[in-house]
Amino acid sequence: MEAKPEEKAEFEEPEIEYVSYGGEHHLPLIMNLVDQELSEPYSIFTYRYFVYLWPQLSFLAFHKGKCVGTVVCKMGEHRNTFRGYIAMLVVIKPYRGRGIATELVTRSIRMMMESGCEEVTLEAEVTNKGALALYGRLGFIRAKRLFHYYLNGVDAFRLKLLFPPPRQVL
Amino acid sequence: MADKPVYEEASIDGQPSKLASIPASDTTVWADASPLLQAACAGLRDGELIHGDNFNLFAAMSALEIMDPKMDSGIAAWHKGHSLAQTVFSCIYLLRLDRTAPHALLHSYCRIIRATCKAVVSVVSDARTHEEEDLFTMTYGLPLNGDGDDKCLSILNAVEETISRQLRACKATSSKRRLPEDLEPLQSNPNLEEGFCKALLCRLRFRKGRGLESARKHIASCLTELESILKSADFLRSCFDESCEGDIDDKTTASGFEPIGFDAMLNSRLSAPTPPRAIKILSWKKGVEYFVKLLHDLDVICSYSLDPHLESLLRFVVQFQKSQPDLVARSHLQLLLVQDGKLYGRDPFFAVINKAAALPEATKNHDIQKNESFLQLGMLVMNLLKILCTNAAWQRRKLGKFLQDWRVIYVQLELAFRNEYGEVSSSSNDENTCMKIFQHILLWVEEQTFWIAFRFLILGFELELYSTGEYCMVYWYLYAVLIKLAEKTHLMMAVSHDTAKRKGKKKKDSPKDLARESRIPPAVLFLQCYICLAEGLTMMLAALRNEIPVFHGPSPFNTEHEKFVQHFELLQRACIPDHVSYLSYKESTTHARFSTLAMYNYFKDAQRIAKEVKSSFSNDPERLAELRKLEQVAEHNSVAQNVICRLGALDPSLKVSFEFSHHPFFATVVVKRS
Repeated sequence: MEAKPEEKAEFEEPEIEYVSYGGEHHLPLIMNLVDQELSEPYSIFTYRYFVYLWPQLSFLAFHKGKCVGTVVCKMGEHRNTFRGYIAMLVVIKPYRGRGIATELVTRSIRMMMESGCEEVTLEAEVTNKGALALYGRLGFIRAKRLFHYYLNGVDAFRLKLLFPPPRQVL
Repeated sequence: MADKPVYEEASIDGQPSKLASIPASDTTVWADASPLLQAACAGLRDGELIHGDNFNLFAAMSALEIMDPKMDSGIAAWHKGHSLAQTVFSCIYLLRLDRTAPHALLHSYCRIIRATCKAVVSVVSDARTHEEEDLFTMTYGLPLNGDGDDKCLSILNAVEETISRQLRACKATSSKRRLPEDLEPLQSNPNLEEGFCKALLCRLRFRKGRGLESARKHIASCLTELESILKSADFLRSCFDESCEGDIDDKTTASGFEPIGFDAMLNSRLSAPTPPRAIKILSWKKGVEYFVKLLHDLDVICSYSLDPHLESLLRFVVQFQKSQPDLVARSHLQLLLVQDGKLYGRDPFFAVINKAAALPEATKNHDIQKNESFLQLGMLVMNLLKILCTNAAWQRRKLGKFLQDWRVIYVQLELAFRNEYGEVSSSSNDENTCMKIFQHILLWVEEQTFWIAFRFLILGFELELYSTGEYCMVYWYLYAVLIKLAEKTHLMMAVSHDTAKRKGKKKKDSPKDLARESRIPPAVLFLQCYICLAEGLTMMLAALRNEIPVFHGPSPFNTEHEKFVQHFELLQRACIPDHVSYLSYKESTTHARFSTLAMYNYFKDAQRIAKEVKSSFSNDPERLAELRKLEQVAEHNSVAQNVICRLGALDPSLKVSFEFSHHPFFATVVVKRS
């Protein structure tokens, strides 16, 4: 197999449109992206679980009508803390490296913060340098290492972002 | 209509097909529900879902599509964490072992495999340290208990004898004539018989014996046989006419030929609570490599001297873990260390603590050990040993939570001490002894607690949990913990020296003795070397951050304060050390500049101390090696510091990076001009 040089899409940042999850019509777009790019196979019920219960936490990125990226999240009570969780984050290859993933995640985190979350968490493969750098820049730390978390034997980091305590309104 | 099979008509590509199905009965009739379903679908709006009352989106996520796993097998894959069902028991011979009875060789081999698996499951379960490797001990009802498996060794012995005779016969028959009547050839080509015998023998060998000495001999001979197994690969490959497709290194057998009798689909229902994912079975080569490593690790364990000194034992375990032993080896180590609630199954833990706390031998049987707090302390030491045998990731998490337990026991003991003896100095002999026990042990508990905190922090480097922007606060916290550890270690040694003096003859201290007493003990100097390096790195990183804003940009959602809280939460909760907070961290580092950095070179101090203390460890190769590494780090960082001080403020293109090439937790600072 020959490695083709990756074709990068040409675009300016303002051309990317970010949209909050708007309904069933967005679901196949999200599913196609995730099925295409991530190794974990999910059934349709998995997607529905997230987007039905927390539609305000999922976002899609469009370029000229084409869906190029998505983030899927949830939040809830976990051992006495109200915590957000980032389940899936995908940007198709030609559009990577231009800050789209950062923007998607940032919007979701902001929504979590405004909804009263105290922290945000996710897991990432220890070899996923791109994800680790992205989340590191946003303020996540590597809270734990999970030995052989993935069945292919790769370890994972549990990443956590702790929000500062809400500012006192004087 | 009753009892007549009803044929459904299904149109596939316009061709009606006849399928036998469940027959209608007297009270039931089949009806076509398609129009009804179509109408229901048309009536649903986007996003609507028809479901039963007990439907739950969260539970529905478990609905997975079953995939075909790859067809392969291997014990090595099992040891590495996959389930027995998908590995060892994907071999039909092991599932129906009774059916192999007519073939002595195959039968005995399979029995041994089954008995070995059972023994290993036993060891790992007893050790109970396999949390993340949980698939390992789950047998899902697969047959691990066989009748007569306890006799498998003698059966194997018999088979080994037979094959050995066959090999001798092959070698003896110079004209390669047929073998003597009572020996059945392994295969049809007499020219290949000798090679096959050899290949088989090295896979079958066993030895009798008990005890660690004997075990070491077994291990040595196993390693020899593994060598032979590897060598047999060339012969076995040459026996098969078919050219093997694909890379020989990826093959799961020595010959490259597909394994007979293995099918991963055999246990598709038994493999796991959820349907199995495809797993990658280790290649044959990797499988052999795994066993070579396992044997080496077991050899290290068997050659351990069972030192009754806890401090030496802890160093041994830490050193052993550096080679990253797998679960099976670690479980065996743990079982060696802790048996029947005693160290090595031999020394009660109070006696171990007594010795570690530099108390006289006589006090190890003191009644005070029945006191609840001392019993709990014994448990803590036992648990510490178990935790230190786990994999690094889990170990760190456990150590972090463990700190609280050590803090609590200290407080309990201190309270008990104050309640018993208060401010009054007692005169009774026994009360004096009790006081002494408390004092020594309290000091020892503190030292141990700081050691655990130290280990917790440095494991973070090994596990790559810290990003470069966090190094400054980590080295600062490490510095704070090391200062306390050195202090307690020094006190412990002073107290130990007193005990030793009292034990020895009472003679006047010679000037030499006095001089030795006033010198700092080498173990403490060793820690001081660490302290200098930690301090040097903290200050250098603080200066870099304060002078070069780009070096550590702010994050949009939180600040350094939150990161500090998260990283050190468990230490802070246990007040280890006291009076340490984000505020004190900021106060210590906020004024660091290149100009202040130039005033003092901590790395030069570290170099000096390392050189000085080497002679005290001339009989300790492990510590010598460590000191050499510390010297290298100190030297490189000293140079880097000078460069940064001279050029830092002037050259904005200065690139600073960190490597752990010289030492696992003290970074070497690399400065480059782009």
